[in-house]
Amino acid sequence: MNVLEVRGATKTYDVGKTLVGAGRTLHALRGIDLAVRKGETLGLVGESGCGKSTLARLILGIEGPTSGNVTLAGKPVGGYGRLERAKLVQPVFQDPYSSLNPRMRIARIVAAPIEVRGIGTASSRRERVRAVMNAVGLPEHFTEVYPSQLSGGQRQRVAIARALVGEPEILVCDEPTSALDVSVQSQILNLLARLKRELGLTLILISHNLAVVHHLADRVAVMYLGRIVEHGPTEAIFGAPRHPYTAALLASVLSPRPGARLPEMRVGAEFPSPLAPPPGCAFHPRCPCAGEGCATIDPDETRDGPRGYRCHYPLAHA
Amino acid sequence: MTGPLLEVRGLKVEIAVPGGMTRPVRGVDFSVAAGETLAIVGESGCGKSLTSLAIMGLLPRAARLAAETIALKGLSLIGLSESGWRRLRGERIAMIFQDPMTALDPCYRIGDQMAEVLRQHRPVSAEAARQRALELLTRVGISSPEQRLTQFPHQLSGGLRQRVMIAMALLCEPELIIADEPTTALDVTIQAQILHLLAEIQRDTGIGLILISHDLGVVAGVAHRIAVMYGGEIVEIGERDAILGRPLHPYTEGLMHSIPVPGETRRGETLGFIPGTVPRQTGELTRCGFLERCPYATGRSAAGPVPLREAADGRLVRCVLPLDGSGRDPAAWTRQAEGV
Amino acid sequence: MASIASATAAPVLALSPGRVALGRTLRHGGFWVGGGILLVILVAAILAPLLTAHDPTWQDLGKRLVPPVWDARGSWEHPLGTDQLGRDYLARLIYGGRISLLIGFATVLISGAIGTALGIAAGYWGGRVDLLINFVLTIRLTLPVVLVALVVVALAGNSLTILMLVIGLLLWDRFAIVTRSATQQIASREFIVAAQAIGSSTGRILFKEILPNITGPLIVVASVELAHAILLEAALSFLGLGVQPPLFTWGLMIAEAKNQLFFRPWLIAVPGAALVALIFAINLVGDAVRDVTAPEGRA
Ligand SMILES: Nc1ncnc2c1ncn2[C@@H]1O[C@H](COP(=O)(O)OP(=O)(O)OP(=O)(O)O)[C@@H](O)[C@H]1O
Ligand SMILES: Nc1ncnc2c1ncn2[C@@H]1O[C@H](COP(=O)(O)OP(=O)(O)OP(=O)(O)O)[C@@H](O)[C@H]1O
Ligand SMILES: [Mg+2]
Ligand SMILES: [Mg+2]
Repeated sequence: MNVLEVRGATKTYDVGKTLVGAGRTLHALRGIDLAVRKGETLGLVGESGCGKSTLARLILGIEGPTSGNVTLAGKPVGGYGRLERAKLVQPVFQDPYSSLNPRMRIARIVAAPIEVRGIGTASSRRERVRAVMNAVGLPEHFTEVYPSQLSGGQRQRVAIARALVGEPEILVCDEPTSALDVSVQSQILNLLARLKRELGLTLILISHNLAVVHHLADRVAVMYLGRIVEHGPTEAIFGAPRHPYTAALLASVLSPRPGARLPEMRVGAEFPSPLAPPPGCAFHPRCPCAGEGCATIDPDETRDGPRGYRCHYPLAHA
Repeated sequence: MTGPLLEVRGLKVEIAVPGGMTRPVRGVDFSVAAGETLAIVGESGCGKSLTSLAIMGLLPRAARLAAETIALKGLSLIGLSESGWRRLRGERIAMIFQDPMTALDPCYRIGDQMAEVLRQHRPVSAEAARQRALELLTRVGISSPEQRLTQFPHQLSGGLRQRVMIAMALLCEPELIIADEPTTALDVTIQAQILHLLAEIQRDTGIGLILISHDLGVVAGVAHRIAVMYGGEIVEIGERDAILGRPLHPYTEGLMHSIPVPGETRRGETLGFIPGTVPRQTGELTRCGFLERCPYATGRSAAGPVPLREAADGRLVRCVLPLDGSGRDPAAWTRQAEGV
Repeated sequence: MASIASATAAPVLALSPGRVALGRTLRHGGFWVGGGILLVILVAAILAPLLTAHDPTWQDLGKRLVPPVWDARGSWEHPLGTDQLGRDYLARLIYGGRISLLIGFATVLISGAIGTALGIAAGYWGGRVDLLINFVLTIRLTLPVVLVALVVVALAGNSLTILMLVIGLLLWDRFAIVTRSATQQIASREFIVAAQAIGSSTGRILFKEILPNITGPLIVVASVELAHAILLEAALSFLGLGVQPPLFTWGLMIAEAKNQLFFRPWLIAVPGAALVALIFAINLVGDAVRDVTAPEGRA
């Protein structure tokens, strides 16, 4: 069963608008189709500005789509009350230094989701907070400290504890390890992997780090300028990318192994502006394989078993 | 070749903070030869940036510098006057920062900024300065450079800005470039391109390059030698392939085991990690600085400060364990209690 | 960066950001000087009946214009002498301070509530709300405060309530400007999005998440506006449009004494000095709070 479905979702922002002037339209999402099954981990990758965080905000119901719809457990996100929605889906953000209120003690931060929903008594909530902090590997004496007294990794654990305390179905992690050192990143990845295993969580993992996505995700969706250009099972995508952009992303993974060479990047450097998306396939100005039609005809999705891609000249694999 | 390009001995930085003195850099020795790329890697807060700022004479005012030697081709940089520094910076040593937006002046056009830097050091005409700027923008792979000259920094993408920074660093043909996390703010596809560019320029011009990064993957493709810093000290320094192939310091080993690598680590397997965090650096060390976080720590680690020792392949390691790697079990990195 | 050395670290002390700031305030010299003066004035105003046996409105025309004790003709019966109606000047100083302070604090409460509400709304919702509030703010800023106060008081009469309302309704601009930008900064932090995502009501976000994070700048503005309001009241009273007898404030005392400026200077000097000391003290405390809260201490 799909706990999350996104159908043709677009999101535009008016920028530079004043009381009188109209401003310009920024196309953050240009038609997203997505389905996530219960217990599955979906990895979302793509360059800065391609709309990953915007999609996350739509899934969290913090913003509504301009057109199309986002359904959680069979019902549009907008149809839920804020408390019902909070019960279904919770976020973990990139920057643990800005995602915790510096004026609140850890216990209050973690308890907030169940406090807002009015679940249980004060003492049963305390008990629940203690259990969740234990589950994410935070010692009990941290309940009474303030975020400024914790390290980045510890703060990220607090953020994960807050997201889990209300037992949501879906966890949306927007770059959960990008602000952390590698030694701490691996601890958070281990934690997420364990929670996924033990709690059967549905995870949306947003990252620009393909190694991170590869490590945790069951399926991967590659985004480019507000579109999903390729998606499918992780092994399939990493083993045999069909879209040239996916191939470029994979090539750019830097391995810390002796004799590692710098990857040859054959794609152009300029990320197009979401204020004026290129006509045809949005990737064609940077694409090494672009050919006839790419500049004019927007490719439809080609389905290939469990995977799909949008490309006129997909890469062939033996 | 006579002697190294840059020689650093006993570099220490102390900063007064409320309630005491931190020692973010505590006795760093290294040298960079002309035509060589030295990478400095380590976790956040281990003193990488302060080391590079000390070499550039750009330490924050609260910081106190002490060093036996900081010499560029025999010219001592210790106690250099402000005008001496101005002649040196840009002209002989250039720096590339993580965030090009803060290093470029948002109020001036790219062309004017580049000309300004050049004319500070060289008596050239405005037209000659423009030509030189054009030449370098082309050199760093910027398309339609004439047009870029008239643009403001905010009109460029992050990758282009970093290319402009590199072009500016090259203006006066420096002998040494220090790049502090030059690709951390960039997308992965652009990161690889910028690293290519740095490596290529370094090869073509034979300058010395110090590349600072927290990511071992970034330095693996570019560096000739690697210095691993921890807690303000170099804990391991040597040839790149030796260090990446068989790290001898537990810290380096721990870093290597923390990184998931598609195709090498299994999906979902427990990754290694280094428990705890970099401790605040105060006072003199009386024992191994990595002791609390090290799964191999023994009684000898606590016996006293640990000196750098030379391993069989010539690299230097600051550890009391046997330097042939015997008696280690890398699986230790995944077995530890999940530290917070 | 790291405040905790390792997993085995001893239990960490729970130092709230507020308590850290308080600790730093208590080590601030200016806070002690300003706070001391302020405390003396406040205590005197509250304990007024215990400090002087005289009724400040009791006229003794036989004892008009008695000079203070430091004058050869003064006596301890009237330590600060009497005014032209023979009222004890010390009693008037102490009781007059009551009204001055009351007006100051009441107007700051009013203007603080208005300005903070508008500023938070503009900063949190942005967009149209922000444009609208900015428009109102611009209009308010084009009004010359003293002139408007004069006109309103002249038209509506000058009871104490009207005076407090007028000053309160005029001095909210700085509150609005400061809270707006402080709120914008806080609202862009991810913990606000997190609060939205856990289903917090807007009220909870505004009062529990944002407000505690902008108290530092609010206290600073409040101190500035407190001094401002007290001075404005003094100016209005001096012009005869402030409080009316039998109520009186330091401003009114100065106004009543202005004819005696050259012959009996203490009549002006005494309330004047009190006013200066009060404003000085408020500013010292405000500066101390700003010093302590402005550079957000990195732990
Ligand atoms: N509230 C907003 N108003 C205007 N434009 C916006 C807004 N939010 C996002 N955008 C724009 O939408 C586009 C997509 O932004 P988004 O934050 O989703 O990207 P992202 O993929 O998360 O990037 P990153 O990797 O940098 O986080 C960007 O061009 C961004 O500037
Ligand atoms: N101006 C300063 N005042 C006080 N402490 C400072 C100052 N600058 C740096 N430090 C401290 O010195 C230590 C080393 O800082 P440095 O910037 O060199 O780290 P780094 O290795 O470059 O880390 P990063 O990867 O985060 O850039 C840190 O613990 C930092 O908190
Ligand atoms: Mg984002
Ligand atoms: Mg740094």
